[in-house]
Amino acid sequence: MSAFIAAFRFQLQLIRNDLDYLLDIATAPVYTVIFLSIVEHAGRPDLAVHAVLAPALITLWWQSLSTSGEVIDSDRWYGVLEPLVATPASLYTVVLGRISGVTMLSLFAFVESWVTARILFGITVPVPHPWLFAVAIVVTGFAMSGTAAVMAGLFVRTRTARTFQNSLSYPFFVLGGVIVPVALLPDWIEPLTRVVFLSWSADLLRDTLTTGPVVDPTVRLGIIFALGAVGALIGRKLIDALLDRVRALGTLSEV
Amino acid sequence: MSDDLAVQVRDLVRVFDTRKSFRKPSTRISALDGVSLELSAGEVHGLLGPNGAGKTTLVKILSTVLLPTSGSAHVLGLDVVSQAKRVRPLIGLVFGGERGLYPRITGRQNLRYFAALYKMSDIDAKKRTDALLERLGLQERADDRVESYSRGMKQRLHLARGLVGDPKVLFLDEPTTGMDPLAALDFRNLIRELNDEGRTIFLTTHDMTEAESVCERVTLIDRGQVLATESPRTLATWITRFERIDVQSAGQDVLNTVERLPGVSKLIRRDDGSARIETSNKDAMGEVMRLLVESGVTSISTSLPSLEEVYVSLVGDRGLTL
Repeated sequence: MSAFIAAFRFQLQLIRNDLDYLLDIATAPVYTVIFLSIVEHAGRPDLAVHAVLAPALITLWWQSLSTSGEVIDSDRWYGVLEPLVATPASLYTVVLGRISGVTMLSLFAFVESWVTARILFGITVPVPHPWLFAVAIVVTGFAMSGTAAVMAGLFVRTRTARTFQNSLSYPFFVLGGVIVPVALLPDWIEPLTRVVFLSWSADLLRDTLTTGPVVDPTVRLGIIFALGAVGALIGRKLIDALLDRVRALGTLSEV
Repeated sequence: MSDDLAVQVRDLVRVFDTRKSFRKPSTRISALDGVSLELSAGEVHGLLGPNGAGKTTLVKILSTVLLPTSGSAHVLGLDVVSQAKRVRPLIGLVFGGERGLYPRITGRQNLRYFAALYKMSDIDAKKRTDALLERLGLQERADDRVESYSRGMKQRLHLARGLVGDPKVLFLDEPTTGMDPLAALDFRNLIRELNDEGRTIFLTTHDMTEAESVCERVTLIDRGQVLATESPRTLATWITRFERIDVQSAGQDVLNTVERLPGVSKLIRRDDGSARIETSNKDAMGEVMRLLVESGVTSISTSLPSLEEVYVSLVGDRGLTL
C-alpha cells in the first residue's frame, strides 16, 4: 500500500477515535445561520448562494489549516516522529495523505450548509451544473491539500503555530473571495487574490450555482489544480528541507 | 565494509549546539567523540553507559533520524547519511518509555499503520500485525486503545512496531525501561528468539543483568567515547585479572597469611565472617586455594566479577544514576 493511502486512512481512523478533530466541521451550520440571517435581514435573498457556500469554504480552509499545523507537532508530542522518519515512507507523503484525509471529510461541510439552509431557513439552493459543481469541489479539495502542505512546512518551523494559523484565516477568507466576490474588492487587491486558489474556487462554485452558462470552466479548473500542485511542490520542498534541518540540528523529537 | 558486518562505525562525532536564548552564546556539547564500533551480522550487541553517555545519540544516527557531525556509519554496508532511504527498510527502531505510540487508537491500528508505511499490502500487513500481536502476547487487548495499556504492554507494542517491517537489524534503546522483572525476563527470551532468526540486535541498556544474559559482546561508553568492547566475560577479567575467591568461616590467621601471599591484590573481610580474595595473577590463585584447603577451610567458591562491577570500575563512581 502506498504511504499516501496509508496516511489518508490512518487520519480517518484517528478522527473516528477522537472526534475533537471534527470540531471545525461542526461550525459550518453556525456560520450558515449567521450569514443567512444577515442576508435575510438585509432583504437580499439573491445572496443566499454566497451565504450557503461561504461556510463550507471557510470550514474547508480552517480544518485543513489546523490539521496542517498539528500533524507534525502531534507526532512529535507522542514521540512517534522519530520511528516514523526511520520507516521507508516519506514524511511529506505521510503529511499530505493525512491532510487529504481531513480535507475530504471537510467537504461534508457543503452538505451541512445546504441542509442547515433548508431546515432552518426553508431555503433550497439549486445546483444547475451538478457535474461541474462536483468536479470543482474535488479539485478544490486537491488544491486545499496542496496549500495545506505548504502551511505544514511553515508551521512546523515556528513554536507559535497557533497564532500563525489564526492570522492566516480571515485575511484569506477576504483574499479568497469566500464571502465577498473578488470582483467587488478594490482593484489593487485583485493580483493578490489571483494567487490564492480559493478565489478561483469560490468564483467557479458560485457560477455553478447560477442558471447561466459557466465561462471557461476547464481553464478555471486547470488554474485551481495548478495552484494546488504548486502548493504541493512547495510543501514537499519545505518539508524535505525541514527534515534535513532537524536531522542536522538533532531537534526531530523536540516538542 | 565486510559482508559479515551488520554495523560499522568509524570515528563518529556528534556535537550539539545548545542556545538557550538569542542573547546568550551557544554551548557545544559533544555527545559522541570519535566512536568506532563494529557489529557482526547476527550478533546481539549491548551498549552500556550512564545517562548522557551518547547511547541514544548513536542509535539515532544508526537509525537515520540524526545526522553525525563527522565520521561514518554503515548499516549492512549502506551509509546511514547518503543511503538513508535504502537503510530504512532494513532496520527496526524501538525506544523505551511511554511515548512513541498513538494513544487514542488501538494497538492493532498502530501496527497496521506502521506496516503500511513499510509498504506492505493490506493482506501482508494484516498477517504481520496478527502474528506480532500473538507473539508479544497482545492479542487479547489488540483492539483496545493504547492509552489503556500498562507500561509493559506499551513496551511490547513498541517492540512489535519495531519488528513490523521484518528488520534485519533491530535497534533497541533501553527497551525494558519500566518493565517488571518477569516481563523483562520474557523480553530477554524474545531477544534470543529474534537473534536465532538471524537478526542483528543492538541494545542499549542500563541493566547489567540484561546485557550479561543476552549480549554476545558489550561496548562500554562514557562521555561519548568507547571505553571497551568485549564479551561480558572478557570484560570481567579486566578488573580482577583472573577469578576471585569467596570463603566462609576462615580464621583471621589464615586470612592474614593469604593476604601476604604474592599475587593477592585485595582481601575484603566482611562482618559475617566471610571474606573475598582477589588475585592479580593466575599463579596466585592456586597458591591461595592450596593454603585455604590445608588450613581446613571448606566453604570456598570462585567467581568472575559481574558486568556491573566492571562497569562501575571503568566508568567510576559516576555510576548509573547520572
